[in-house]
Amino acid sequence: MQTKAAVLRDIGQEWSVEDIELDPPKAGEVLVQIKASGMCHSDEHLVTGDLAGATSPMPLIGGHEGAGIVLEVGPNVVGLEPGDHVVFGFIPACGRCPSCASGHSNLCDVGGAAFPTGRQISDGTARHHTADGEDLGLMCLLGTFANHTVVHESSCVKIDKDLPLDRACLLGCGVVTGWGSAVYAAEVGPGDFVAVVGAGGIGANAVQGAKLAGARVIAAIDPVEFKRETAMQLGATHTYASIAEAMEALGDSTWGRGFDKVIMTMGVGNGDALGEAFHLGGKRSKIVVTNIHPTVEASIAVPGAFLTLFEKQLVGSLFGSANIRKDIPQLLELYTQGQLDLDTLVTNTYTLDEINQGFEDMRNGKNIRGVLIFD
Amino acid sequence: MKSRAAVLHGTDQEWQVEEIEVDAPKAGEVLIEWKAAGLCHSDEHMVTGDMVPPQEAWPLLGIDDLWPVVGGHEGAGVVSEVGPGVTSVAVGDHVSASFIPSCGRCRYCSTGRQNLCDAGAGAFLKGMITDGTSRHRMAGGGPELTLFAKLGTFSQYSVVSEDQVIKVDTDFPLEAVALVSCGVATGWGSATNRAAVSPGDTVVVVGIGGIGINAVQGAAMAGARHVIAVDPIEFKREKAMEFGATHTFSSMEDAFPAVMEMSEGMMADKVIMTPGVLYGELMALGTQLAGKGGTIVVTGIAPMTQTESSVNLFELAMWNKEIKGTIFGSLNPRADIPKLLNLYRDGQLKLDELITNRYTLDEINDGYQAMRDGSNIRGVVVHG
Repeated sequence: MQTKAAVLRDIGQEWSVEDIELDPPKAGEVLVQIKASGMCHSDEHLVTGDLAGATSPMPLIGGHEGAGIVLEVGPNVVGLEPGDHVVFGFIPACGRCPSCASGHSNLCDVGGAAFPTGRQISDGTARHHTADGEDLGLMCLLGTFANHTVVHESSCVKIDKDLPLDRACLLGCGVVTGWGSAVYAAEVGPGDFVAVVGAGGIGANAVQGAKLAGARVIAAIDPVEFKRETAMQLGATHTYASIAEAMEALGDSTWGRGFDKVIMTMGVGNGDALGEAFHLGGKRSKIVVTNIHPTVEASIAVPGAFLTLFEKQLVGSLFGSANIRKDIPQLLELYTQGQLDLDTLVTNTYTLDEINQGFEDMRNGKNIRGVLIFD
Repeated sequence: MKSRAAVLHGTDQEWQVEEIEVDAPKAGEVLIEWKAAGLCHSDEHMVTGDMVPPQEAWPLLGIDDLWPVVGGHEGAGVVSEVGPGVTSVAVGDHVSASFIPSCGRCRYCSTGRQNLCDAGAGAFLKGMITDGTSRHRMAGGGPELTLFAKLGTFSQYSVVSEDQVIKVDTDFPLEAVALVSCGVATGWGSATNRAAVSPGDTVVVVGIGGIGINAVQGAAMAGARHVIAVDPIEFKREKAMEFGATHTFSSMEDAFPAVMEMSEGMMADKVIMTPGVLYGELMALGTQLAGKGGTIVVTGIAPMTQTESSVNLFELAMWNKEIKGTIFGSLNPRADIPKLLNLYRDGQLKLDELITNRYTLDEINDGYQAMRDGSNIRGVVVHG
């Protein structure tokens, strides 16, 4: 069939919205009509080249934070049928590899192996082609910047049909990543002092996770005033414009003890900034690295002595160290019950044709999250 | 196809080796030729009735008729045929049984607790996990069969869901694989995972059968300072010493003062309850053997209708003790069965030494008599 998608042909270029050819789903795959897709900073990382080598070769269809409706299922698909509403996990969960089998589907071995190919998990070939027949790769095996896509069932999590898809799509990456960074990776507990460095689509949800987990102080650090204000709306107790400003205020925010948990959720990870933020952590603190550092960055400026002397822990976290099949439905329940705010996260919506404007707004700090809405 | 199988027609009967009919596997199913099956106490619990749901509860559980039952849930074999849509195994693969399915998708599987997979809910129903219909019946148009744990490894062949087989390397002896699929994992995980034995701990294991011996093995591997094995049978106590026990006693009463002395009055950090049948009164001394902040792990199967056990709740609260249940040692079959087999390959886990006697399928009642007599750590049926 023919559909429309936002294609990226090279680093530094704009997204090109064009007609593409889409093959029907093969065994284990489903055709999904996409209804909404978040514009996450990781797609911007494709444009800047920060993710070079870790994702699909070009040309590719961007987008990995999406939700839609199943139109057709290939052979041997279990548990999904036409009409089902789904959120995509930006990492698939095969349910059988050693990582999935031990409760870490965010590290699914199947997803890890297929990611850099950008091709289908099932047989390594492409279902998406340009109008003149060139194979297209998929961001995170999904390609949600399109009216339709074909993906493997292990990327799909079925959700209730009464949930708004323009909110549910955020569960495919940003919300789970941020919320889980606080709840699972940092293991925020009642009474904790928590600092969240970077209050965008990820950090805003780390603030929400920390709040629900009972943090006493939640300091959101971001240079953009609008983001600091949004963080306060979502549960932050203090905000600072920079790490340096937060350092100076440690006496006020944590009685000089330092934060118990520091969660790094900047637009782009940076070894020097991490080294600076490391000092926000107190004794036995956990410093969680959620934001993506450029793949070419080889070192970080963390003072090793304080790992030992203050027993600090430096912890990486992917997709909030969460499990999509449990956490996406659970977070949607929390949304329904008013314990998780998704509405405030969506700053602006765009049509697919307006995608470049959406990313421009992200770069200018105007959006917590911009969301593409499909007809 | 036809297969010979050990069938139980009711409680307090012998196993009957009879011919059964096995249908071809449908979507998501596999036909397995079982090569080895462990004689686990849980099958015996069907004979004694300890694990048989009371008949008045059958309608609630959706059971029309529980009987007849093909026994066996500890096993290993070779994939003989695969139904449509099966992706994790192919014909000729060697597989371990997994007495709890792991669908990989439910809330429990998704969070690293495959031992609690929701697909295990219909264990006593005749229908397959896949579509609710049966593939097995008595030969000659007889009644449909219940497969114990939906596996029935006491049959030469059975059709099971893909979710209940785990591919293993072909160089492992299938008898060893069979043991890991239930008893070894359950005992080892009870110590290493559920009790979380750590270096320097004092650990008591109560009951040294196919489960307890592996709790001993797990506790020793996790660095326990004292591993105290309790069993009335001398042969089992000797066996426990081979598997890493540091002390043995014939009863909890005898163990009590000794544990007090060797722990300088602090008693055990971890107590693991693995008797053949876990009667409630055993919990009185079981909990007292644990000291302040101690953990008591309940692994052994208690009679299904038993609702009371003797626990001093004052001590439980004042000494901050905890009692934890476990199934399958709280392990994940797909991750941990291969892991345990690799430990065996590296010489760090004893499996061959667990097998006391081998039986043909026709000798299965001899095997269970030996279990009742206490002369087996583990008996194994080797299918001809």
